[in-house]
Amino acid sequence: MSLSAQAVGHARLHQLAQTHQLKALMTIIRDQNTPRGDFVFYSDRVIRLLVEEGLNYLPVVNKEVITPMGVPFQGVAFEGRICGVSIMRAGESMEQGLRDVCTSVRTGKVLIQRDERTAQPKLYYSKLPKDIANRWVLLLDPMLATGGSAIKCIEVLLEAGVKEERILFINLICSPEGALAMLEQFPKLQIITAEIDEGMDQQKFILPGLGDFGDRYFGTED
Amino acid sequence: MAARNQQTSTLMLKSAGRPPWYAPDGKNLPAYVVGIAGGSASGKTSVARRIVESMNVPWVVILSMDSFYRRLTPEESKRAFENNHDFDHPLSYDFESALRALSDLKQGKAVHIPQYDFSTHSPSSQSQYLYGASVIIFEGIFALYDPAILQMVDVKIFVDTDSDICLARRIKRDVAERGRDPLGVLQQYDRFVKPAYDGFVRPTMSNADVIIPRGLDNQVAIDLMIQHIKRQLDEHNATIMRPVLVGQYDGSSAQDGLAPTLVTVPQTSQVRAMQTILCDRSTPRGDFIFYSDRLSRLVIEHGLSLLPLKKRTVQTPTGLSYEGYEMEAEVTGVTVLRAGGVMEKALRSVARTAHYGKILIVGDPATHEPRLHYAKLPPSIERHQVLLMDPTIVSGANAMMAIRICLDHGVSEGSIVFVSLLATPQGVHAIQTAFPLVRLVVALLDSRIGKDDLLVKSGYGVFGDRYFGTEC
Repeated sequence: MSLSAQAVGHARLHQLAQTHQLKALMTIIRDQNTPRGDFVFYSDRVIRLLVEEGLNYLPVVNKEVITPMGVPFQGVAFEGRICGVSIMRAGESMEQGLRDVCTSVRTGKVLIQRDERTAQPKLYYSKLPKDIANRWVLLLDPMLATGGSAIKCIEVLLEAGVKEERILFINLICSPEGALAMLEQFPKLQIITAEIDEGMDQQKFILPGLGDFGDRYFGTED
Repeated sequence: MAARNQQTSTLMLKSAGRPPWYAPDGKNLPAYVVGIAGGSASGKTSVARRIVESMNVPWVVILSMDSFYRRLTPEESKRAFENNHDFDHPLSYDFESALRALSDLKQGKAVHIPQYDFSTHSPSSQSQYLYGASVIIFEGIFALYDPAILQMVDVKIFVDTDSDICLARRIKRDVAERGRDPLGVLQQYDRFVKPAYDGFVRPTMSNADVIIPRGLDNQVAIDLMIQHIKRQLDEHNATIMRPVLVGQYDGSSAQDGLAPTLVTVPQTSQVRAMQTILCDRSTPRGDFIFYSDRLSRLVIEHGLSLLPLKKRTVQTPTGLSYEGYEMEAEVTGVTVLRAGGVMEKALRSVARTAHYGKILIVGDPATHEPRLHYAKLPPSIERHQVLLMDPTIVSGANAMMAIRICLDHGVSEGSIVFVSLLATPQGVHAIQTAFPLVRLVVALLDSRIGKDDLLVKSGYGVFGDRYFGTEC
């Protein structure tokens, strides 16, 4: 079985419904000729869908309410406090999508860069909500390639007391190698993504991918 | 109460909303056509207006033969300015266009009527949009001339006024309204109008059901006429649907007996939690608005995913290609006001290039029967995919009217996706029975509502009231 097929079938890797409509959105953001305004707009639209999907893995409790008609309605209520944690800088592009859905959500930030000496990801900065240990964490980073920085970030979260089963990693595109490696290293982690790609090139760019998300979103390409 | 446009002889009354003009099977009932012929300046238009005013029926349209003058050749045009062109000959009229317009209007379709400019003797660049006539009054000297048009006309009237009175009126009108000189008018009358009347117009009197001598002065004849039309209209309207939908649906559980054109968005925990908030009568308005907006966005995304797409391959910045898709046609969002406007915001935030139409339907306070008050749709809507939006489908009556309006404007049933936050099985069933190809996307199928209130209220209460804060 190919890595892609393994990733697609993994119980803790959740892909958005693969509709033609979603493919049309991904087509726009993957197209190298897409102007930046469109890239941002359609990325935001996919991010909104991802955030909505991610929230479905949060717990709910049964709740009965009375409708304006005076009839009982068997529903559910949100349960559990959440926060967002974005991996700078590209992950910050996903914060607004989260805030649009969960107003006044607390948001932590983590900066992780590759250490030139060891070639390993290194934590440069982190600012997390104080009570993060009691919260569910929506971890935000648009591209999951090798998973190096995301793994580092999860280690930071675990050190801060977050329970592994309460981490939901949300991204737009992931490589099968990176996703499978993370899921193996963290046996309770869940990943929510829009599409699973074929693999990576020598420079660890996802293929076919969309290039450098942060550069295209923030307009810092050459 | 009459909004009238004297220049174009077209009159539309809109003071009251228009009740349904279609049967419960969704098909249009033909509009009632009154044909009024008579000599030039015999008082046809005045009789038509009198009928409209006395009947007090809204949604009446006067369609004039004047709109269907044939386009003149440059030579004819030159003659026309010399008062030397025979406008009163049947060959001066485009009966084919008139027939098409009349036939479309009779079938309930929206039409664009060309406008004729009498001062330049040519069709003006503007056309008049007509939609929503229950009664069409078709008037002109040749209204009862063409056999195919006669087939369309339900009651045929000929106004027979003395020719000297006609001539006097004609001189007055042409000089005052159409900028001619009296001598030219007289010359034209002798050469063309009189012979045409004797040769072509007067003989059509034998096609008439009723002949009204002395035109507008003949109050008795007009009153009789109006009574006849009223009686026929009452019979006609008796077949039109009433909102008696309760009980027609007998599925035991929610989805039973509903066709697969109904798509329920996946009942994820978030969707269910949002529905719980919206159904809770103690939810504060701020939360009701926030979660309506959030749920709308999901439902809109789901609706868009049902639209047809075609394949498109692109190059990514990594140099590899990606086989994707793109939208096949433009999208028009049509909101059923007032509550539908809530969902328009959601569509606007995902589909930047969409076109927007609006329809205002208000329930009659006594019968809850829907009444159309306003409809404005993009002109090219027939080529678009249409997303119809209304947060709730309760009896289905408003939704059916909105769908009917789209169909009347040339949209095909298969191009319509109706998106809604909440629907009752009864409402869905009514829509599916009438319009089997229209797809419906809902976030909640709610069958737990009291039957008494089925026609107006849902599990949300009255959505618009809660969103806009107009409950009390």
